[in-house]
Amino acid sequence: MGLYNFLTLQLGKLIVKVLKLLHKGAGNLPGLILLGINKNILGYFKVDCPIIAVTGTNGKTSVTNFVNHIFEQSGKNVITNKLGNNLDTGIVSLFLKLCSPTGKIHADYLVLEIDESHVPVIFKKLKLETLVVLNFFRDQLDRNGEVETLILKVKSFLETFEGNVILNGDDPNVSRLGQANPDNKNIKYFSVEKYKYATDKIHEVGEGKFCPMCGNPLEYEYYQYSHIGRFKCSRCDFGNNDVFLRVENVDLENRRFTVEGREYNINNRSIYYVYNMAAVCAVAKLYNIDDEILRDTLDTYEVNNGRMERFSIGNSNAVINLAKNPVGANMTIRVMNETNCEKELMFVLNDNLADGYDVSWIWDINFEIFKDVQRVITSGRRAYDIAIRIKVSGYDPSMIEVYPDLDEAVEHLFSTEGEKFIIANYTSVQPTRTAVINYINNNKEQ
Amino acid sequence: MKTIRILHMYSDMLDLYGDNGNIEVLRYRARARGVETVVEHHSVGTKDTDFSSYDLIYLGGGADYEQQLLAEDLQSCRNEIMKAYENGTFFLLICGGYQLMGEYYKDSNNEVIKGLGLFPYHTVASLNKGKRCIGNIIIEAELDGMISKIIGFENHGGQTSATDKAFGKVLFGNGNRFESEDEGYFDKNVIATYLHGPLLSKNPKLADYIIKYCSERDGGHIEMTPMDDALEEKAREVLFRRLLTRR
Repeated sequence: MGLYNFLTLQLGKLIVKVLKLLHKGAGNLPGLILLGINKNILGYFKVDCPIIAVTGTNGKTSVTNFVNHIFEQSGKNVITNKLGNNLDTGIVSLFLKLCSPTGKIHADYLVLEIDESHVPVIFKKLKLETLVVLNFFRDQLDRNGEVETLILKVKSFLETFEGNVILNGDDPNVSRLGQANPDNKNIKYFSVEKYKYATDKIHEVGEGKFCPMCGNPLEYEYYQYSHIGRFKCSRCDFGNNDVFLRVENVDLENRRFTVEGREYNINNRSIYYVYNMAAVCAVAKLYNIDDEILRDTLDTYEVNNGRMERFSIGNSNAVINLAKNPVGANMTIRVMNETNCEKELMFVLNDNLADGYDVSWIWDINFEIFKDVQRVITSGRRAYDIAIRIKVSGYDPSMIEVYPDLDEAVEHLFSTEGEKFIIANYTSVQPTRTAVINYINNNKEQ
Repeated sequence: MKTIRILHMYSDMLDLYGDNGNIEVLRYRARARGVETVVEHHSVGTKDTDFSSYDLIYLGGGADYEQQLLAEDLQSCRNEIMKAYENGTFFLLICGGYQLMGEYYKDSNNEVIKGLGLFPYHTVASLNKGKRCIGNIIIEAELDGMISKIIGFENHGGQTSATDKAFGKVLFGNGNRFESEDEGYFDKNVIATYLHGPLLSKNPKLADYIIKYCSERDGGHIEMTPMDDALEEKAREVLFRRLLTRR
């Protein structure tokens, strides 16, 4: 390590300490500053253990937390970015906090959530052992560009990568990555057997209309959700993968599925969640995790943190779910519809930098299928935009209430009793949790 | 009952974020005025589409790849589409749809896609894929003699040559080219623009302008009864305050 790198490292560690003294969470700031002065700094950390990275549009944080959990339960010392600081700045900040003065990172495993666009940048500098790719959906087009651009970035990294690649074989956008490096023998596909609510026609906006290999229209036997399902290309045989791990007998009502004949209970009732768990099972299989640990994790572990997180007060229950894109929001609406009772929806929509300034994605949410929704409350910086969208879908505008202020919105939400669903986008999900938690603490029965 | 016939072209390919919402807004606002809407589709390989039988032809925006896939099909319909335009069918063209109806579009890979040449403009995308006009945009346009602010979101690499018939004057954002003053293309029966949002969601006056044109083009008269646009007005107010007052 050169003197310059050594000094930048010390400066970085100092920044982390100062921020800690000021009681500020480190977040991305130290990394942002350090990368500004020394853009090669990531390459000077010395990591002495295998790295497992999770990427994809939706589900990264959940899957990373679960993978971290199974390794921890196996008695391993794991370093992870649990809170989803998944850009190079976040990774540098994390390393600064944990490294020795000479930049050594010591652990048994590093389990990292990585933003799709940062996979090549980060793993040009760090040696990766296993990459897990969950899905590719349209997400923040104004920040990320077309979804194709992101796929190509990950693909360019995989072209020379020889480590393990765990891919969602039911997403054509992901499955195609298995052919990025024909010499890589470590491609492992996971797949989920057709579930009860799978459809013949695509139900929500999706990609995957054309074969990414030859441009022929793709044929689908069924869709699980969005463009995830059983597809094939009749011209070039794309989609015909050897499956490494298959989830079968998906039973959402009773929250369970089987893998290779073994039954597992799960904690949630959405197909989207089942896919996340399939990825976790694939990692567990690859690393020979003890089956009891996997079983117990799937059964009891919860990420919370605004991912299908449950709250209750008095006779009301509320579920908060993050949705950064139409696929995420459609999934919550599916779960709402599969809940057979009257309910209310609150939708919190921000348009801060990290959300993307463009909110037009809300027009790709399928609100027409709304069932038994008694009232809609909207909030956030774009509260009126989401209200307009729901109105134009045919929902009675007299049942829509707009409160841009979050605390006011939460207060009105709990002015009635019953089942509540809350959808919040990226920068609004933590403030929404806080507002709900504050409301509950301030209104507990004495 | 009056019916507006809409042809939604390449809805399966030109379907970037929310552009299909424009059709939803038109149907919603037409229905409230007692005007029915019929939406039909034309996609690659659709045979015998009778373009002149529609009151409105709509094209949304798409990615470069999709625009290449459909270019050939579009060319094969050229004469029929021209005829429809001359017969007074209204054209609402967003982003990719806007570019494809011009003379040509040179994409970010330096590939030239021949346009229909319906209108006298052309588009050249920057070869630097990261260089795009992205952000909220507000323009000022004249509809039926009334000056109106139009709000949307632009996200395009293509730089469209100046035309003397711009849709509007840029108050905030980029417009046809980086930091340009003009946005879109506007003539009697065409509005072509880079504005997503979707365009009609926060511009009810513009939606009504198109509905009125389409339902009166056969000589009838339609009463555009006012609607409750309180949510739309509020949404506009929030963004005008945020974007226009800081200048």
